[in-house]
Amino acid sequence: MIEINDLHKSYKMGSNSLHVLKGINFKAEAGELVAIMGSSGSGKSTLLNILGMLDGANSGEYTLDGVPIKDLSETKAAQYRNKFLGFVFQSFNLINYKSALENVALPLYYQGVPRKERQEKALKYLERVGLKEWATHLPSELSGGQKQRVAIARAMAAEPKVLLADEPTGALDSTTSYEVMDLIQKINDDGNTILVVTHEEDIAHMCKRIVHLKDGVIVEDKKVKQVRAEQYV
Amino acid sequence: MFDRDIWQEIFNTLKKNKLRAFLTGFSVGWAIFILVLLLGLVNGMQNGFTNQFNDDATNTIFIRPGATSKAYAGFEKGRRIQLDNDDIEYIKRSFPSDIEYLSARYFSNTVGRYKSETGSYPVQAVHPEFQAIEKLIITKGRFFNEADHTNKSKVAVIGKKVAEDLFKDEEPVGNFAEFNGLPFRIIGVFIDEGDDNAERRIYAPVSTYQRIYGNTDNINAIALTYNPSYNLTEALEFSGRLEDIMKRRHKVAPEDQAGIRIWNYAEAFNDISNFTNGLGMMSVFVGFLILFAGIVGIGNIMVVSIKERTKEIGVRKALGAKPKQIVNLVLLESIFITTLSGFIGLLFAWIILAAIGPNIETQAFSNPSVEVSTILTATIILIVAGVLAGLLPAIKAANVKPIVALSDK
Repeated sequence: MIEINDLHKSYKMGSNSLHVLKGINFKAEAGELVAIMGSSGSGKSTLLNILGMLDGANSGEYTLDGVPIKDLSETKAAQYRNKFLGFVFQSFNLINYKSALENVALPLYYQGVPRKERQEKALKYLERVGLKEWATHLPSELSGGQKQRVAIARAMAAEPKVLLADEPTGALDSTTSYEVMDLIQKINDDGNTILVVTHEEDIAHMCKRIVHLKDGVIVEDKKVKQVRAEQYV
Repeated sequence: MFDRDIWQEIFNTLKKNKLRAFLTGFSVGWAIFILVLLLGLVNGMQNGFTNQFNDDATNTIFIRPGATSKAYAGFEKGRRIQLDNDDIEYIKRSFPSDIEYLSARYFSNTVGRYKSETGSYPVQAVHPEFQAIEKLIITKGRFFNEADHTNKSKVAVIGKKVAEDLFKDEEPVGNFAEFNGLPFRIIGVFIDEGDDNAERRIYAPVSTYQRIYGNTDNINAIALTYNPSYNLTEALEFSGRLEDIMKRRHKVAPEDQAGIRIWNYAEAFNDISNFTNGLGMMSVFVGFLILFAGIVGIGNIMVVSIKERTKEIGVRKALGAKPKQIVNLVLLESIFITTLSGFIGLLFAWIILAAIGPNIETQAFSNPSVEVSTILTATIILIVAGVLAGLLPAIKAANVKPIVALSDK
């Protein structure tokens, strides 16, 4: 599903250049649930940005579902993001004047899905995250966990190939974190490929594979026995 | 464009920032208000001028002789040119298809007397066709006709003021008044709309006056109207030919403007049209300068709005919004504010003009109003203004980098 070869990325900071990714080689099959771990400054967010086509690499190859991702125009990148990727952010990033339903329907809007179909589909995904009754509520009326579940429903609504979650539990307490992880595991059980960036060990062990990043290189890549989040909920 | 989601978003942003939206819209509304008001006032002025000209035929040409200012064809300069009856005949024969009405003018003054009342009045001795040239309105009796002219009858048509002076309550038509001691039969009374002084005038046949004043053929001026179907170019071309032929006939240098003067109403009307058009252009120019300030204001607000919504735009881009869609959103919002507030300004200006317009009726000013074309132009201007105001902020928004926008730091 995802294939990265010898990926380099450096940022220019004034006259200096900061080498963040120093040759990453990584492969993820369809249906995997991978945790990317590392301390701050290890390059994990940069890697996720490149995977999410929000940023470009300096050199190296990146193939997503057989499509080479290279030198994309803004419009093309927007199309690919919409088609291939779903994003979940640490701070949810819901649009605050849109109801939960409208938030979930937004990626479908950018896919050009007609309004009616869009709302039906969005409602279906809200139901899957258990928030059907909250469809008409604004984000400000939802709890943190509920917001993140709406965000996950939004990321899933476009039926992406890969779900990218950047610290999805970073702003949540542990009980809510486990609820969210339970949801992510269930989505993964349905066969979706998911990448989770986290620095929490317990969250990482709820994935099936952990990749450790340090100073811009992968120092460890191991399969783990998945801890089901269900038991803590 | 007619997408519910886009409009929902626009209304939401406006609702969240009511005061800001109002203040921004106000600048554009105010600009359009002033622009339309100015145009309406210029329009009123134009109406006023047109009314002034309407009571005389606008296809009139006057020919007046003067003294030459250049030596020409063996004559010294300073020679007085004298027109006479032959000139009338000559013009009539030379331009049979160009001329509608033609009349000589012979100027004189007279002391009029009826019973014990006397008064001094200007007399114009003219041809019967002069009635049509000056658009005289006969309220009692008639104007003199060809028969009066041929018979050199001592008849006169007097202005309403003359009739009031001399005849008081008596009926003037049919009675005889003495002009310089000679009895003239009053055959008609006229009024002249828009010119009270003209009503102190007396008209008599030119043939009669020429006989009274020593059997002369001389006349003071010629008045004529040309074919009313002529447009301005044709009219100017005709008066040019007329001038050439008259100057050649009286041996006046072609470039000598003093020897024979041809005064063309069309030209004067054209000058005044140019003047009011110039005023119109100036008010459009001033209006645009004010509007420009409004556009800058809206652009400014949009930039702030984009800054506040950077994160939201980042999220949209991450969810697959194309740059074009972001540009559309911002542009539409800007066009919406400008057009709406502009129309409110337009409406206010229109209401004011509609309320006061019909009440204003002075000599040089009448019925200021806005035309449909002004409204259409204003609409187009507003949409263009909205695009201009929104374009830079929109491009800025489209260039928002999702990673920068989404970073939680």
